[in-house]
Amino acid sequence: MRLQDHPGSSLYALVGCALLGLLLLALPAAAQEAARAPEYRAFPLIGSRLAVWAIAQLHLNFAAFILGVPIFAVIIEIMGWRTGEQRYDWLSHEFVKLTFAAFSTTALLGALLLFLFVGYYPRFWAYMSGIFYPTFSVYAMLFFLETFTVYLWYYGWDWLSGSKKWIHVCLGVLSNLFGTAILFVSNAWVTFMTSPGGIDEAGSLTSLWGAINNYTWMPINIHRLIANVTFGGTIAAAYAAVRFLQAKTDEERARYDWMGYVGNFVAISALMVLPFAGYYLGREIYAFNQTMGITMMGGFMSWLWVVQAILIGILFLGSNYYLWLGMERIPGSERYRRYIPYMIMILAAGFIVWATPRSIPLTPSEARIMGGTHHPVLGVLGVMSAKNTAVNLMILTTFLSYLLYRRANKESVKPWVGTGMAAQWLIFAAAATVVTFYGVYGYFVESIVRIGYSVYQVLAVLGAIALVMAIDIPMFRGARSTGQIRWGTIAPRSQYVLILLAVTFTWLMGLMGFARSGIRQHWHVYGVARDTSVDAWTPALGYAANMITIVTAVFFALVLFIFWLGGLGEKGKAEGHGHVAPAIAGGSDP
Amino acid sequence: MRVPVLVKVAVFALVVMGAYTYYANSIPQLRSEPPEELSLEGGNVTPEQLVKAGEGIFKGKGTCEVCHRIGQKGTRAPDLGGIGASAAKRKAGTSAKAYLIESLLDPGAHLVEGYPNIMPKVDRPPIGLNRSELWALTAFMESLGGTVDVKLDDIPKTAGSAAGGGQVAELKLPGDPKAGQAVFMGKGGCIACHKAGSVGASPVGPDLSQIAKIQTPEYIMAKILNPAGMGTVAGYPGGVMPATLGQTLTAKEYLDLVAFLLTLKGEGAAPAAKK
Ligand code: HEC
Ligand code: HEC
Ligand code: HEM
Repeated sequence: MRLQDHPGSSLYALVGCALLGLLLLALPAAAQEAARAPEYRAFPLIGSRLAVWAIAQLHLNFAAFILGVPIFAVIIEIMGWRTGEQRYDWLSHEFVKLTFAAFSTTALLGALLLFLFVGYYPRFWAYMSGIFYPTFSVYAMLFFLETFTVYLWYYGWDWLSGSKKWIHVCLGVLSNLFGTAILFVSNAWVTFMTSPGGIDEAGSLTSLWGAINNYTWMPINIHRLIANVTFGGTIAAAYAAVRFLQAKTDEERARYDWMGYVGNFVAISALMVLPFAGYYLGREIYAFNQTMGITMMGGFMSWLWVVQAILIGILFLGSNYYLWLGMERIPGSERYRRYIPYMIMILAAGFIVWATPRSIPLTPSEARIMGGTHHPVLGVLGVMSAKNTAVNLMILTTFLSYLLYRRANKESVKPWVGTGMAAQWLIFAAAATVVTFYGVYGYFVESIVRIGYSVYQVLAVLGAIALVMAIDIPMFRGARSTGQIRWGTIAPRSQYVLILLAVTFTWLMGLMGFARSGIRQHWHVYGVARDTSVDAWTPALGYAANMITIVTAVFFALVLFIFWLGGLGEKGKAEGHGHVAPAIAGGSDP
Repeated sequence: MRVPVLVKVAVFALVVMGAYTYYANSIPQLRSEPPEELSLEGGNVTPEQLVKAGEGIFKGKGTCEVCHRIGQKGTRAPDLGGIGASAAKRKAGTSAKAYLIESLLDPGAHLVEGYPNIMPKVDRPPIGLNRSELWALTAFMESLGGTVDVKLDDIPKTAGSAAGGGQVAELKLPGDPKAGQAVFMGKGGCIACHKAGSVGASPVGPDLSQIAKIQTPEYIMAKILNPAGMGTVAGYPGGVMPATLGQTLTAKEYLDLVAFLLTLKGEGAAPAAKK
C-alpha cells in the first residue's frame, strides 16, 4: 500500500465517505418530517429545479465514468494476464487509476443530490422513500462494497501479481458486479418516475418488485451499461490525448497514442450497439403508454431527436476520421486509401439526411401519417425511417473503416483469400440492401410497425459484423506484415478529434438526461405525482442546451481538477506503484 | 509565447459546446406548459357553450387528435365524424349517450372492429379529464350528428381523476411577431400578394388581416409550407402562392412569421386599411 502516493485524494475520499454516512443516517428522520413539510422549498437564486438538474447530471456523469471504465479495464487486464504482455497490464492499471481518482467526487455529488431532494422536494422525496425505502439500504451497502473492492483492486496491484494475479482479476470482476448492481438499483428509482409500476390507482405500493421491474427498467439498465462503456472510453481517450499533446518524448507519445487508440476502440465498439438498445427502450416506452411514446417522438420533443442525430453523426464521422488519420502511421495502408473518399461520401450523405431540420418541406398528409397534430413541422421529423437507415449505413461504414485499419499492415497468406474477401463484400452489400429496403418501406406503415423494422435493420447490421469478422479473423491469422505501426507518429489533430468525441458524448448524455426527464412533462412520477411547483413547465431545447453546456463544462473542469489532485497530471511521470510504463511498439489489435 | 496545451484544449472544447448550444437555440423553441382545468359544475351553461368547451378539450387537453380525426380516418383510430348518430347503433341496448360515456371511461369494453385496444381511459392520468370536462366532451361528440342531451349527472360520480391534471400540455411557439412582420415584408415576399392589417395592399392573394380569427394555427403553418396541399381559397387562383417557402425560410424565420400571422385578429388593423 502506498497511500502517500495520493494524499490529496484519500483525504478527499475520507471526507466524502463521512458526509455520506451522516446523510444516510439522517434519512429516515428526514422522510418522516417530510410529511409535515411544505411540498416544495425554493433553492436560492437559481431555483430548485436547476440545482437538482445540475447536480443530478454531474453525479450521473461521474457515476457513468466510474462504472464504465472498470468494465473494459478488467477485460484489458485479463488480456495482459493471458498474453503476458506487460503493456496491457500497465494500461489497465492506468484506467483504474482514473476511476479511482473520480470515486469520491461521485459519492459527494450523490450525497449532495440526496440533500437537495430531501431539502427542496420533501413531499416528492417522501413518496419515493415510501416506495423504495428497502432499496436504500441495499444501495448503501453495495456502495460500500464497491468502494472497498475497487480500493483493493487498485492498491493491491503489485501485491496480487504473479501467481496471485487471478485473485486480482477476480477483484476486478467483482467490482464490476457490484458496480452494475448499483446501477440497477438507482435505475429502478429513475425509471419508476417515468413509467411507474407496482402501485395501485391511488399511488400506493402494491409490489416493490413491480415498482423496480417497471416497463423501462431493463431497457434503461442495458442502455446505460453500454453507454457507460462508451463514455468511459471517450473520457479515457481524451485523457490520453491531452497527455499525448503534452508529451516531451517520443516514448511517451507512443504510449499515449496507443492508450488513446484503445480508449477510442472501446468507445466505438460500444457505440455501435447503442442504437439497438435505444430502440428497445423506445419500444418499451410505447408499450407503457402510447401517448408518452407519441409525445416523445412526434410531440414537443421531436426536435431533440434531430439534435441527437447530429451529435451521433459527429461521433461517427469523428471516429472514422480518427481511424483514417491513424492509418497514416501504418506501413502498407496505402493500399486502402482509395476507399476513403467513398466512405466519406456515405457518411456525409448519412449526416445530411439527419441534419436537414432548418427548413422542412412538408405536406399535411405527411403530418397526418405521423400523428403529430400539434405542430406540422414537428410531425414529419418523427418519421424515423430515413434516420434509422442513415445511422445503420453509418455503422456499417465505420465497421468497414475499422476492418481496413485492422488489415492495414497485413497481407493474408491463406490460399482462399480471394473468395473470403468476395464473401465479405457480399455480406456488406446484403446488409446495406436490407437496411435500405426497410428504410424505404418504413414510410408506408404505422409508427408502431416501423419501430419493429428498425430491429430488422439493426439485426442485419450486427449479423453482418459478426459474419465478416468470422471470415476476417482466420483470414488474417499468421498474416505477412508490411511493417510495424509507428505509434506516436499520428498527426496531433487526431488528438483533438478524440477530445471532440469526449465532449460530444458528454453533451449527448446531458441531452438524453433531459429527454428522460422531459417526457414526464409536468409530472414527478408520471400520472401519479403531479409537479405543482413553479417549475412544472418543461423547458424548450435552447434553455436545456444552455444548461447542458454549463454542466458539461463544469464536469470537465472538475475532471481536470481531480486528475491533477490525484497526481495524474504530473509531467513525465508515467509510472505509479513502481509500474514502469512499457515501451509501445507493433500490433494493430488492441 | 507558446499557448499551453490545456488552454488550447479548453478553448477547443468550449467552441464545440458553444456550437451545439447555438444550434439548439436556433431551432424552434417549444416549451410545454402544464394544462389548465375546466370547471363547469354549479354554473349555468348552455348546450352551445358546453359543445364549444368540449371541442376545445377534444383538440387540446384531451389529446384526442393524436389518434382521432373528425370527418376522416385518424392515424390510429376511427373517424369520429357522425359519432353522435352512429354511437346508438354500436351496442345493442345501449344508447348513444351511454355508449359514448363508456367509450371514454372504459374504451376496452367495446372495440370498434379492426382497431386495437390502445385508447387510454380518459379520466385517468395521464389525460386525466375531470367530470366537467367529460361532460363537455360527451356533449361535443353528441353534437356530431346526434342530439346533445347529456347531463352532468350522467357522468358517474367516480369518474374524474384523483391525481388531477391533464397530460399533453399546451405548446407555446415563442416566435417573435415583430421579426415575423419583417419576414412578411422582406425575405418571405408575402407582401407582394397579401395585405395583413396595416401592412401591404396587394389584392393578388386573400387579405390576411383576420387570418388568426378564421383559421387554425395548424392550417396557417401548413399553408405556408405547402399551399397547394391545403386546397385553394375560393375565388383566388390556385398555384400562384410559391411552394418553396419551406426550403427558403429558416426555422426561426418561419416561426416568427407564424407568430406574426397569429397576431392578425382583425383588431387595430382598420386605420391603415381604410386608406
Ligand atoms: C392513443 C390513441 C387514442 C386516443 C388518445 C384517444 N382514442 Fe378514442 N379510440 C382509439 C381507438 C384505437 C379506438 C377504437 C378501438 C376502441 O373502440 O377502443 C377508439 C375509439 C373511440 C370511440 C368509439 C368510436 C366508435 O366509432 O365507436 C370514441 C367515442 C372515442 N374513441 C373518443 C375519444 C375521445 C373523445 C378521445 C380524447 C379524450 C380519445 N378517443 C382519445 C384511440 C384513441
Ligand atoms: C405570388 C403571390 C403570393 C405570395 C408571394 C404569397 N402568397 Fe399567400 N396566397 C396567394 C394566393 C393567390 C392565395 C389564395 C389561393 C390559395 O389558397 O392558394 C394565397 C393564400 C394564402 C393563405 C391562405 C389565406 C386564407 O384565407 O385561407 C395564407 C395564410 C397565405 N397565403 C400566407 C402567405 C404568406 C405567409 C406568404 C409569405 C411567406 C405568402 N402567402 C406569399 C398568393 C401569394
Ligand atoms: C459508487 C458510487 C455511485 C454510483 C456509481 C452511482 C450511480 C448512480 C447512477 C448511475 C444513477 C442514475 C442517475 C440518473 O439517472 O440520473 C444514480 C442515481 C442516484 N444516486 Fe447514485 N451513485 C453512487 C453514489 C451515490 C451516493 C453516495 C448517493 C447518496 C447517498 C447517491 C444518490 C443517488 C440518488 C439520490 C440518485 C437518484 C437520481 C435520480 O433520481 O435521477 N449515489 N446513481
